[in-house]
Amino acid sequence: MRVLFFAQLKDATGCNAMELATASPLNTPQLWTELVQRFPALAAHRPNVRLARNWEYAAPDAIFADNDEVALLPPVSGG
Amino acid sequence: MEIEIQLTDRPIAETILPPGQPGAVGAWLEFRGVVRGEENGQTIRAIEYEAYPEMAGREIRRLLQEISARHPCLAAKVIHRVGVIPVGETAIYVGVASPHRGAAIALLAEFMDRLKQDVPIWKRGARNAGLRPGANWKIAENVPGRRPALQPLSLDEARAEISSRSRPLAAVRTPLAEALGRVLRETICAPEDLPPVDRSTRDGYAIRADDASKNFSVVDTIHAADWKPRQLKSGEAVRVATGAALPCGGLRVVMQEHVKRDGDKLHVVRRENSTNVRLRGEEVRQGQPLVSAGTKLNAGALAILATVGNVNPLVSPRLSIIHFTTGNEIIPPSQTPKPGQIRDSNSILIRSLLQNFPCDVEQGHLPENFEAAMLEIAARKPGIENADVLLVSGGASVGEKDFTRALLEQLGFEIVFSQINLRPGRPLIFGVNGLRVAFGLPGNPLSHFVCFHFAVATALAGLTGGEPPEFLRGQLAEKLDDKPCPRETLWPARLEWRVGQTFLSASSGDFPVACADNANTGQECPANQQTGMSALHPLKWASSGDITCLAAANALVRVPANCASLDDGAKVDFLPVMSMIGGG
Repeated sequence: MRVLFFAQLKDATGCNAMELATASPLNTPQLWTELVQRFPALAAHRPNVRLARNWEYAAPDAIFADNDEVALLPPVSGG
Repeated sequence: MEIEIQLTDRPIAETILPPGQPGAVGAWLEFRGVVRGEENGQTIRAIEYEAYPEMAGREIRRLLQEISARHPCLAAKVIHRVGVIPVGETAIYVGVASPHRGAAIALLAEFMDRLKQDVPIWKRGARNAGLRPGANWKIAENVPGRRPALQPLSLDEARAEISSRSRPLAAVRTPLAEALGRVLRETICAPEDLPPVDRSTRDGYAIRADDASKNFSVVDTIHAADWKPRQLKSGEAVRVATGAALPCGGLRVVMQEHVKRDGDKLHVVRRENSTNVRLRGEEVRQGQPLVSAGTKLNAGALAILATVGNVNPLVSPRLSIIHFTTGNEIIPPSQTPKPGQIRDSNSILIRSLLQNFPCDVEQGHLPENFEAAMLEIAARKPGIENADVLLVSGGASVGEKDFTRALLEQLGFEIVFSQINLRPGRPLIFGVNGLRVAFGLPGNPLSHFVCFHFAVATALAGLTGGEPPEFLRGQLAEKLDDKPCPRETLWPARLEWRVGQTFLSASSGDFPVACADNANTGQECPANQQTGMSALHPLKWASSGDITCLAAANALVRVPANCASLDDGAKVDFLPVMSMIGGG
């Protein structure tokens, strides 16, 4: 799956996107485990970050599959 | 409803044709959000916006459709600019068309609120504003209750986060007289054997240990401060004082009560089994560790350092701590509160608890208005920028969580968590900025008390390189009566010791080892375990505003979530309350 980082999460990871290859679909805690393993700096942001799956906010029980686009969204501040 | 959405990196036109078909439209409403030249008291030239375009467009559409179901409109047009936008230029344009003005006004108002909560667009920090690194991302002002739900951490998760993010500050060398309570940052080893020579433990006469004679001649006298090395021959004795350095190895001391002396002649009446000699290196051998790195220096440890001549140990620095209260209802304790006001008890509570750590504390009060608060903070530079720890006590009348959080973020702190599953103390905020840490403490004193002991003390231990406070095992002395709570609770309790009554030995790891002589079996409790038992008396408290229990509390009992009550005698974990005197 493709994982996108925005705003300060770009600073935390040093990139704006990554390809995450997984053997099977992931639930939210599993996805976080994978991400934090690669980017430990993300752990700090976790309480404030909302996840999006395919351009919609993901429900807490969402499953993230291989062909999904996942985005990590820190608190927004548009307008 | 007809919807048109654009995200653009080009300037938004001065004039835009409003949406909707002329004829049906009775109200055209236009709104422009423009970049201001000032942000939190600082002059800026531009703001940078970033968007997740695919999702931002969908989210704007979803919001407009949802809101227009309640406030029917004919058409809406939204243009959001991204990239660097100079001061004075439009960041967002919204045009709404409806048959009557009411629906358009309501839709626009709600849409702008929701956009600032849900649409993935971010305001990158004000350009040329001189903001601190890390303060680059502006967080939306919050409509209470609308903030995206944050994931609350458990008590253990929160402690782990605090521990891992509070890293030791650079150590300093400090004279012994200023080192009490500091954390030793080097291991101090014995530079020589202790004691460095054999010493007498009695007033008496030193003779060779292998000399079985009864009659001796006294050849010398050694006082406590003397150093008179010589090899004693058989039949020779030396008068020695308690603590005196013996003249050579292989001696024993006969107590003066056990001899008869006449001039230089000495007759030994009786010999004890004991040699009455404290042997060289008996206490510590050269090179053996005396005080380990990570030890919080107490009076005894300082005495050891003095003993070995380490007068400038490498220790944790004195912490610089700033504490702000917030809330317009708070008045100084010396004043009489009007209805709606309350006296500030948190300042002295925090100041007193901080006495457990060598630190300099500066305290102040922040106005509720965010800009005014930032001005107050700016007035305290560079104190704030040099502070190792920033504590903000929430005020009940402020939207305390968002206020404190926004404040910390503006000061460059990254918020690690802003909620924990704990009672009391749920809205605890923790942030880090480099090596500096900050806490937003929930406003009432009981929450302060609890959060200080498990959270702030953990951070201070981390910054100083010391051991974080750990839960100990104890036992309830009376029933803890509670209603089930979905959160864990830290319950104020009075810890007492019971000694001298029959009590079964507690399993290993319990604190303290609960043991006394067993009256029934006559079995003796091992001497090193006769410490009595910990008896925890839960104190009464009904809400986190209760403070009467604080004066008596010297322990915080950990009550698991969803646990209605705990029986008398139940094994529990507890956190000891700090003594407020000496090294804690």
